Amino acid sequence: MSRSSRAVVTFSNQVKRGELFSIRAIVQHDMESGFRHTEQGVRVPRDIIREFVCTYNGRPVFRADLHPGIGSNPVFIFDAKADQSGVIECRWSGDNDYLTVLQQPITVL
Amino acid sequence: MIQAFGSLAISFFLFTHAAVADSRQSAYQLLSPTNQAMQNDMNLNPALFAIMDGEALWQEKSQANGKSCASCHGDVKHSMLGVFATFPKIIHQKLQNVEGQINACRTRHQHLTVFAYESKPMLALSTLIAFQSRGLPIQAASIGSVKNDYESGKNLYFQRIGQLNLSCAQCHDDRAGLKLGGSVIPQAHPTGYPIYRIEWQGMGSLQRRLRNCLSGVRAEPYAYGSKELVQIELYLMHRANGMIIESPGIRP
Repeated sequence: MSRSSRAVVTFSNQVKRGELFSIRAIVQHDMESGFRHTEQGVRVPRDIIREFVCTYNGRPVFRADLHPGIGSNPVFIFDAKADQSGVIECRWSGDNDYLTVLQQPITVL
Repeated sequence: MIQAFGSLAISFFLFTHAAVADSRQSAYQLLSPTNQAMQNDMNLNPALFAIMDGEALWQEKSQANGKSCASCHGDVKHSMLGVFATFPKIIHQKLQNVEGQINACRTRHQHLTVFAYESKPMLALSTLIAFQSRGLPIQAASIGSVKNDYESGKNLYFQRIGQLNLSCAQCHDDRAGLKLGGSVIPQAHPTGYPIYRIEWQGMGSLQRRLRNCLSGVRAEPYAYGSKELVQIELYLMHRANGMIIESPGIRP
């Protein structure tokens, strides 16, 4: 059983073939670094997203490794080239069986 | 004659109002362009998750009596339009801010326990309600209706406190625009609350910010939900009356 959270991925849903378009992906996550302590001095265990992958019709267009220095609710903004209509899938995976997958259709004119 | 007096009064009002509006500045103006863009674009503003959580809570039925927020208030977009801009105000003879009213509704109508201040569900609901006032001007409760609390809040604002013996006014009126450490001292208008503060890595209420300031001057912070903090909130809303609400704001 994996944990999941809210995510929002934004791109224009109709793009022209061959054109670059911008994809913006933000996900809800505390990104607990593992370096913080409670007021009682107990270390808060690390709980972060480890990897973000965006695929366009199954082909990876963007991939990133995340580390404890990255703040909460990380945002990625990147470009992809419009190829053909299909599905853009964003996938965040991390500590403690964290997994969030979001699929959105894209129409290429 | 009466007409002439009326137009004179109106022009006097406009003149004074414009003069006040010119000198007041939201801390939004002090943000970097990237942080301003993050606040403006609700697909990038991380507070959008608090709003989404709030929308889920708005529909969540009480296990005690089956009532949700929506059972009484209906669609939040209509029932809460501009509501945040009028708080704090007197409800059942008590000065309430939005957080206090959320908890009053939970105990009185949903027969549930209260949310703790700064807990995620409390911030989610208050952010959802504040968001319905985004872009609208602050309409503080008339001084007549809150006279004693307004006077107390004003006194607290000008009262020197703590080991550093500073009042709110000494920083935020007298020294606004100058630097404290590396940062510009803002004018302390509560236009963006609840805020997503990057330093906090999450949402926070106006009371959290006030308590930060109190411990900053080495004073013992008033408790969350205390009468004093709500009175300061009220005075700040009066000070910022007419300014545009930006909630949920981004602050560094």
